[in-house]
Amino acid sequence: MKSVGIDIGSMTTKAVVMQGDKIESFAIIPSGEEAESTAREAIEQALNGTETNLSNSYLVSTGIGGKSISFAKQQKSITTCLARGISSLFPSARMLIDMGAESSTILKLNERGRLTDWLGHDKCAAGTGMFLQQMAKLMQMPLEEMATLSLQAKNPAEITSTCAVFAESEVISHVHRDPPTPREDIVAGVYSSVVSRIMALAKRVGIEKDVAVSGGVALNAGLVKILETELGVQVLVPEKPQLVAALGAARIAGENIEKA
Amino acid sequence: MKATGKNKIDAILRACRLIMRLSQGSPNMRQSQTLYYNMLIKYFSRLLQAHENGEFVAAHTVFFPSELIYAMDLVPMHTETTTWMTALFTGECSDILAAGSSLGMASEICTPHRGLAGAFATGALPRPDAMLWSNMVCDNTAKSGELIMELCDCPGFFIDRPFKDSEYEFNYLVGELRDMVQFLEDKSGKKMDWDKLSETVARMDKQIDLIRQVNELRKNVPTPFRPQGFLELLTIDYLFPGQPEAIEYLETLLSELSESVKKGEGAVDSERFRLMTFFIPPMYLMAFMEKISQEYGAVSVIEPFFTFWGEGRLDPSKPLESVAQKSYMIPEMRMFRPLDEPALNSIIDCAQQYKVDGAVFYADVGCRHSCATIKLFKDALNRIDIPMLTVDCDVVDPTITSEEEMREKLERFFELLEER
Repeated sequence: MKSVGIDIGSMTTKAVVMQGDKIESFAIIPSGEEAESTAREAIEQALNGTETNLSNSYLVSTGIGGKSISFAKQQKSITTCLARGISSLFPSARMLIDMGAESSTILKLNERGRLTDWLGHDKCAAGTGMFLQQMAKLMQMPLEEMATLSLQAKNPAEITSTCAVFAESEVISHVHRDPPTPREDIVAGVYSSVVSRIMALAKRVGIEKDVAVSGGVALNAGLVKILETELGVQVLVPEKPQLVAALGAARIAGENIEKA
Repeated sequence: MKATGKNKIDAILRACRLIMRLSQGSPNMRQSQTLYYNMLIKYFSRLLQAHENGEFVAAHTVFFPSELIYAMDLVPMHTETTTWMTALFTGECSDILAAGSSLGMASEICTPHRGLAGAFATGALPRPDAMLWSNMVCDNTAKSGELIMELCDCPGFFIDRPFKDSEYEFNYLVGELRDMVQFLEDKSGKKMDWDKLSETVARMDKQIDLIRQVNELRKNVPTPFRPQGFLELLTIDYLFPGQPEAIEYLETLLSELSESVKKGEGAVDSERFRLMTFFIPPMYLMAFMEKISQEYGAVSVIEPFFTFWGEGRLDPSKPLESVAQKSYMIPEMRMFRPLDEPALNSIIDCAQQYKVDGAVFYADVGCRHSCATIKLFKDALNRIDIPMLTVDCDVVDPTITSEEEMREKLERFFELLEER
């Protein structure tokens, strides 16, 4: 029996299929209006080309839509799955910074990779992936270009971290300034704004090495570099940071198969 | 609904009577709960009819020593509890909160106090004949009393409780209480019955002892007291200090809990998580809190700053001094005093004695005092590897945290505890 983990996020849905400790396949698709049908689509995509189907797999769901999946054998919270996923990739990780589309969460882990504490912010757009997406739209450049451009910044712009609406006004004023603020400095400023929000959370929980990152925002190399500078430590970045929660869910599914 | 000067009290009474009617003969309703609701009905009925009966209504803020009001045979009105009860029994108090905001009170102000201002301004609560307040524990009360006095155009008295604890300060507090008694005698035309105050103090001493005994029983695994039952103890302390019915309630509760312990019966079907609670869960979510507690087998077994009384006894032969002494012993007082190492160690000791698995801090966004203690408590409990969940919420305002958010946070925490 295969273990399948699915993470239904606000922007993307991620599925991971495992056989024992090995990841066999995965899928990342945009989240639709119906969590259940999106989940089915993601799983079918991930299982495509394998002989497995839903009936001979053990499915654990997580994420904001995790509870809506009627065909899941178990639902687990995102924090539990993130902890399990990251500790399987980096057993030395004691702190995980998850930067998702609509929220950022700091998790602390013990030496067994179990969650001991977490702190998140989910009431404000500032410091989230949605905010970065909005900024990319405003700057009229794809997110991927933003990610590399910031590395060339010489004098990052000052942009508020307290409110996404105010930050947007500030970016507009930087763009229309005469002469305009260099684009790489604006992007670096936007990233710094996100990082400062995350740092406020991290300091409240207490920074502890090794630090790993997850979530789609962690794909931004420029942002991760600023984060490393602020933390004063090198961070561990998974190859597919957006898959960590789905991986954790698949791991839990695997444990349940073993127990059965 | 148009304010009648009584409609919030009416609503509380209707809800209590409905609970009593629906639970008549129900095996799930303990005798102590029946006594509890009857006490609430008696308290609020007396308040509702006070002016018609020619009685003097003395409104007072939380932690005010209402033993003095009872001993003078005046009608007490515990202001914050009235707001809580409105949220608890009617599900919300958005109308009075909005009325408070329209008076210019910022949304950051403690909602029971904002709601109170709104309730008095719109006439949703009866007009008090005197307003009594103090700076015991909470700074909001220190300002709130003045505002209510102004809004209701009634006389008032403020008890200034010194921050420090020396003999000089203690005597100063006794002097303040003496002046307050004089004030009430002048305004109400009634005299303090010192014998009655002595009897009240004697019963208060017994009341504290009974709560200590209840807490001892809660140490048992499984714990016998209902998951959110501590709120009943809190209400008893706030509304009925040293009253005969409080003793009857506590003795009945004690006997019920002893029986459960003997039979090995727990408050939930399968006890999984023993919790330490800090501050107050949202009143408007109480039914949900009971439900999720049962669902996950999660029970609050101790509340160090709500039900865990400080050491000491009250001496009925020195009633006024005893009332002052009680202010040093009330559980909440320790939370708002300097939290030195012994105080933090007492939390650790408490967690160990009650075999606590985790702690939940209901961080009331309007209470800066309590929120300032979050990190201290969390760090203290982490020393013995006990995790603490902090839930941002509000005691009465449903716009801060919804049932879904509360469920998500608690479920994550229960998973964390289970995974350990």
